[in-house]
Amino acid sequence: MASQASPWLRSARVPMLIAMLPALVLVGVLVYLTVWAITYSFTNLELTGPNSINWKWIGVDNYVRLFTRRGFLDSLWVTTVFTFFSAIVGQSVFGFAFALGMRGLRGWSRTAVEVALMLGWLLPDIVASSLWLAMTNPKGVINVVLLQPLGIPPTDLLAKYALPAVIIANIWKGTAWSYLLFTAALDSISREILEAARVDGATGLQRIWMVILPIIRPHIATNMLFITIWTFTYFALIYALTGGGPGSQTEVLSIFMYHQSFGVGKLGYGAAISMAMVIIVGALSVFYLRQLKEPK
Amino acid sequence: MDSLSRTSPLTALALAFVAVIWVSPFAWLITTAIDPHTTGVLELPRSIGIDNFVNALSGKSGLQFLNSVWLSVGTATLTVVICAAAAYPLSRLNLPGRNLLLWGLVLLRLLPAAGVVVPLYFGALWLHVLNNVGVMLALTVLNLPFALLLLKNFFDTVPIELEEAAYVEGASLWQIITMIVVPLSRSGIAVVWFFSFTGAWNEFLLPLIFARTDTGFPMSVGLFAAFGEHGYVDYGFLAAYSLIYATPAVAVYFMLRRNLNTGFAGVGVKG
Repeated sequence: MASQASPWLRSARVPMLIAMLPALVLVGVLVYLTVWAITYSFTNLELTGPNSINWKWIGVDNYVRLFTRRGFLDSLWVTTVFTFFSAIVGQSVFGFAFALGMRGLRGWSRTAVEVALMLGWLLPDIVASSLWLAMTNPKGVINVVLLQPLGIPPTDLLAKYALPAVIIANIWKGTAWSYLLFTAALDSISREILEAARVDGATGLQRIWMVILPIIRPHIATNMLFITIWTFTYFALIYALTGGGPGSQTEVLSIFMYHQSFGVGKLGYGAAISMAMVIIVGALSVFYLRQLKEPK
Repeated sequence: MDSLSRTSPLTALALAFVAVIWVSPFAWLITTAIDPHTTGVLELPRSIGIDNFVNALSGKSGLQFLNSVWLSVGTATLTVVICAAAAYPLSRLNLPGRNLLLWGLVLLRLLPAAGVVVPLYFGALWLHVLNNVGVMLALTVLNLPFALLLLKNFFDTVPIELEEAAYVEGASLWQIITMIVVPLSRSGIAVVWFFSFTGAWNEFLLPLIFARTDTGFPMSVGLFAAFGEHGYVDYGFLAAYSLIYATPAVAVYFMLRRNLNTGFAGVGVKG
């Protein structure tokens, strides 16, 4: 903490305050944009046509439409399935299993597995999409190496099993984050505690379930918080792989919002969808943050 | 040693198996990219050449690479300069409500970016910057909260005594900033630059909405547009383009890894 008495700070005060101005302007822009996003959701603003200029207030009509028209609730369900299986089940369980399994590994084998995980995470979203597009097509690696030897004829996996395919792609891409977090968490557990549990006769599974998991509970909640927010609002990977299709089988909320706003052109309705996403993510975040506290 | 720290042969086998599955897409990527006559099937290359890479770097693809470089370096540099200029006073001066400001901003940004896409589009339309400059400005605004918080926390760890000593010795404000503060906070600045760079390099939604012509696309939209462009999928081109597009994002991480580790250590300790 800086003391106000320092002559150095007194002399530098004015130039420093001037240096803050550009950032303050951008803060103003961010707040302004957020206020506008909320405002749009109560109007019939459209991308083109008369309503793009002479838009009107229509109250909560856009929000009523979320529940009375087909689309939003279906999309919410797809998003929930996608988030639950790819992030909450897939990434955290795989990340935890990798972190636990690699505790004893040192040297090149550990580096090799870590680099393999990290590469998926560091790849740009659209590169991951182009990879999975190539992996899942009828002549792709999954068909040729895995399914044909089992006698299954070549299928276009992305067309036939779109939602499972994007879920697997997202697990492949995102597990590194959970792995890194759980590795740090496991390193923080003292060996004495695990040793004591072993001496007391706890089996491996009991030690994981009754010793390790309760200790790293805050890490689990932090991890869930981040991956839920990211996955729930994920756009690029799914959009580039399927565009939301076939039909609307993989149309998660971010894609639904994009289609309604910039495809159909209903910007007001799109803003209402965004606000609904914000509210849902906010509620989930509050839930996880409460889990962060120690149970009494 | 507890048994959890020992790896049984079974665990090692399972790990190796999963690691192979994890790596196999990269094997496909590389064998396809270096084979000019590829059909997109995983196999040993029948011929080896750099034709795919030449295709992926010539004409409009080459322009798209330059667009991405310009967009990402611009965003990262703009973010670091603007945020460092504000974060340093926030760390040093006892301004009222500064913690409220920082955490309020972070709360605002925890909400999905999708929420402000529509106003961002109108803002860019109004400023006549529906292009990469618009994306750059939009990303800088979105980067602001976390960059400010990270840099402010980082500047807090740089001891003020050094600056005071330099002041007593007669150094000017500019000298103190460039010769003491910036060198001492290199890793913090590197972390913010890295996050902004990769964020802009990967960004897809904003350029998809903002970019009007395929010579103005950054690589994310360029790769997406190439998926079905020739009526069939040209896997050799796709793989080479993917490799070129992925390399900077991966390389920046490994280049800055040491800085990132020290930088992460200073993050989130103080509010």
